[in-house]
Amino acid sequence: MATRKKSLLKVIILGDSSVGKTSLMNQYVNKRFSNQYKATIGADFCTKEVVVNDRVVTMQIWDTAGQERFQSLGVAFYRGADCCVLVYDVTAPNSFKNLDSWRDEFLIQASPRDPEHFPFVVLGNKVDLDNRQVSTRRAQQWCQSKNDIPYYETSAKEGINVEMAFQTIAKNALEQEAEAEVINDFPDQIILNSQNNRPGNPDNCQC
Amino acid sequence: MYPWSSSSYSGQAPNPAQNRTMPNGLDDQEKLLAEAVGAARKQAFQMNHFLDKERMLDSLKCASTMLSELRTSLLSPKSYYELYMAVTNELNHLELYLSEKSDKKTDLYELVQYSHTIVPRLYLLITVGIVYIKNDSTLKRSILKDLVEMCRGVQHPLRGLFLRNYLLQCTRNILPDVMVAENEHEGNVYDAIDFVLTNFAEMNKLWVRMQHQGHSSEKTRREKEREELKILVGTNLVRLSQLESATLETYQRLILPGILEQVVSCRDAIAQEYLMECIIQVFPDEFHLQTLDPFLKSCAQLETGVNVKNIIISLIERLAAYNQRSGKTSGNGIDAIIPAEVELFEVFSVQVANIVQMRHDMPLEDTISLQVALLSLAQKVYPDRIDYVDKVLGTTAQILQRMNMNNISHLLSVNQELSRLLRICIDFYNNALTIIQLHNFCPLLEKFDYTSRKSLALYLVMNILENETQVPTADQADSLLTIITPLIKDDDASKDILAVAGASSTDAEEFAEEQGVVARFIHLMRSDEPDMQYKMLQTARKHLGNGGGQRLKHVLPPLVFAAYQLAFKYKAIAEQDENWDKKCQKIVQYCHSTISALAKADLADLALRLYLQGALVIGEIRYTNHETVAYEFMTQAFSLYEDEISDSKAQLAAITLIMSTFEQMSCFGEENAEPLRTNCALAASKLLKKPDQCRGVVACAALFWSGKQNGEEMRDEKRTLDCLKKGARIASQCLDTGVQVQLYVELLNHYLFYFERGNSLITVAMLNQLIAKVNEELPNLEPSEETKQIESHYKNTLAHVRSRMESSDAALEVSFAGITLN
Repeated sequence: MATRKKSLLKVIILGDSSVGKTSLMNQYVNKRFSNQYKATIGADFCTKEVVVNDRVVTMQIWDTAGQERFQSLGVAFYRGADCCVLVYDVTAPNSFKNLDSWRDEFLIQASPRDPEHFPFVVLGNKVDLDNRQVSTRRAQQWCQSKNDIPYYETSAKEGINVEMAFQTIAKNALEQEAEAEVINDFPDQIILNSQNNRPGNPDNCQC
Repeated sequence: MYPWSSSSYSGQAPNPAQNRTMPNGLDDQEKLLAEAVGAARKQAFQMNHFLDKERMLDSLKCASTMLSELRTSLLSPKSYYELYMAVTNELNHLELYLSEKSDKKTDLYELVQYSHTIVPRLYLLITVGIVYIKNDSTLKRSILKDLVEMCRGVQHPLRGLFLRNYLLQCTRNILPDVMVAENEHEGNVYDAIDFVLTNFAEMNKLWVRMQHQGHSSEKTRREKEREELKILVGTNLVRLSQLESATLETYQRLILPGILEQVVSCRDAIAQEYLMECIIQVFPDEFHLQTLDPFLKSCAQLETGVNVKNIIISLIERLAAYNQRSGKTSGNGIDAIIPAEVELFEVFSVQVANIVQMRHDMPLEDTISLQVALLSLAQKVYPDRIDYVDKVLGTTAQILQRMNMNNISHLLSVNQELSRLLRICIDFYNNALTIIQLHNFCPLLEKFDYTSRKSLALYLVMNILENETQVPTADQADSLLTIITPLIKDDDASKDILAVAGASSTDAEEFAEEQGVVARFIHLMRSDEPDMQYKMLQTARKHLGNGGGQRLKHVLPPLVFAAYQLAFKYKAIAEQDENWDKKCQKIVQYCHSTISALAKADLADLALRLYLQGALVIGEIRYTNHETVAYEFMTQAFSLYEDEISDSKAQLAAITLIMSTFEQMSCFGEENAEPLRTNCALAASKLLKKPDQCRGVVACAALFWSGKQNGEEMRDEKRTLDCLKKGARIASQCLDTGVQVQLYVELLNHYLFYFERGNSLITVAMLNQLIAKVNEELPNLEPSEETKQIESHYKNTLAHVRSRMESSDAALEVSFAGITLN
């Protein structure tokens, strides 16, 4: 196992609806921004190759729906994440308040091995707008209180800090990956010639 | 050579003996899921192991075995999703590896097709297909086509849906998204649209088919499962919306018609409702605005079970929010955002009417909810277009008319929606004057029963009060009072029932509160034009006069006071308005008749006070003939006192008020003053209880002292003293010592008052005599709360005298020397 390097990083973007999760991802991956609002339903990912610490890794960025009603199948995609990005809108205080519940929800559902040190990154988006409601200080305080989460103020529209934020995300995700690899997921045991008595297809379908 | 000849592989073949029915318990699900994920992990580990060793064939074999876990039929959608996540996560690794390592020598695309069963085979095919495309984009068009067709091989709904979801996920980054490709084999955006629409149609079919499989008793569970799986189908639409090269024109011509055709033709209510909502959410507002007609037309064609109302409301809310959001960020006026050629309101209005007409099954509540949605659209997007709002109200009234709905009970659920319609109007404008510009407001209101009309009326009046909306003209006042008629008088039809209901005491409080609100409203009928103000008062009087005594008590006094204020106003502008005198006379007549209406309604106390107030006002204004009228007002008060007021406490209070009013007035000549004065004295002395008599008579003294005679204070020392003496005599007749002492202390105060003001007939001896009397009796009183009060009153009185005696103030007119304080 040790020889082959895993180079796939899984990153989940969470936050209230319309804080700009999809826009941030689009800005980062495609360098594009659109004022058009399209609600995200469910969850799916984009991939991007990045160079971190002289290594080329593929970053799988999961964009999610901010509205719970659009996650009808649950949040199984949290599992195996290497980094979680929490996004709020600096002009919407509620989206900032909800960071707590997004973080808790993630830790419960993803159940990482070491929740205390799981890498999060917080992004305060839409700094290009002039009706800012959440101060930098307030956001930084919150991040400090949560084990020093890195904090960036971004604008998906103008591309401010987006690249830098995702670099940090990739770096922290990679460190997490490395740690996870040490623990390694060996299967519980390998029983040779065991009778496989698990139930098969009741409908006897061959597909 | 057969590449899959491995003994371990055949062990995976399903064994009919192990068949089980679907377990329902959560624990079972967890256990099954854990087993499946465990088995998949085991294979994944092996797969990675072989990858490290670069043993391609073995690792593909493991991948295939891992993927066979997805062939299970035992897992619920949510559990299956978890398994799918675990498995596809491993496939992502495989894909990465293959992309890096693949060489042209091994034909992977062929190789993976040897997998025994179709589910693993297709997952692998997709994975490898993507690798191929990434290596050679000229294969894109043909492989995409191949994959989307090959997936037809899985017709089991759950497995098929997830398989196609995998296809959709993997192709996300590689869908051709250009109008014209450099190499036609790379495909263009139309190929992408084709690909996704095909996948969408297939997924939707699988999803709809679920509804018709299995036993009918499991319908609820099946619907729940379908509900959970909807997101997989919806993701197709997301993918379409992500195509950057798909222009509005492409959306209008290909994408939307393609989706709608599938949605309408699938004839499945769950799918239709979800997918319509999905279209609204995932495509941008700019597209919706240009495709309202086809979208709304399709809404009319949906199955009976579909909640069309929610779909329309969702669209309206989205467009309204868009309008507001864009309006904010661009800083332009709000209506600049939605292009002028898009006649949003008209389109919705016509299409909603069409839907209402086509869908006979739609409950009336839903029809009304649609009108509510239309209304909020009109208000949010066209805040200035009152005519739009009015039109919605009119349409609603017509709908009710057609259905012959009248007197709609407040107990009906449709009533709530209807009320909401009207309340939204009230809340939106926060200005009752705008409400009365809505010509259809009243006709719609007429459709309600009395109870709900009343509560709406109250809602409107509360709104007026909160916003302090001033009503400046009589016509407006008339309209508003018409709307709130249910608060002003009982329902003609159900008078008897309400009379009974109004009798209970819990309602009485509520009733009083309600009327108080109306009374406060009256004060907001204010015009800067006195003539207009008068007209308004007349209008109000007409409306408010028929409510019965219980209401008059609350609503007429504010009218009277408003009229008095108006009279003062005329007085103030006397120089500009030569008719002010006549107008004042009219106002006073108005007050007189209004007050007598109160008197007739057995509200003597109230009427008496208003007459007295009127007398004061008239005395001040001094228009022609004012003395006679003021006299009339005083005598009206007197007759009420004599004829209507019987309770002794009320009598004392009333006569004291009459006297104090009269004492203030200076407009009477002696001819009128004398009878009034004498009558007061007479009335006071005729009070029933001695203490009341005493107090009344003593109060009367003021009439002879500071009461006016020909405009001057009367200062009749003798008659003042007579009153005091008479009071003292009456006090001496009281049997209760406590009361007697109390009266003496009060008398002492009155004596001191006139003494200080220089009534020369009052002597120090008189004061000493009273002090002596109090000193003699006070110690004999039983200790009690009242006694304490008397003592402290007395102590304070003496302290006052002492301070006067010690004072060196030269301004004091009389000498306090000789008063014995002990």
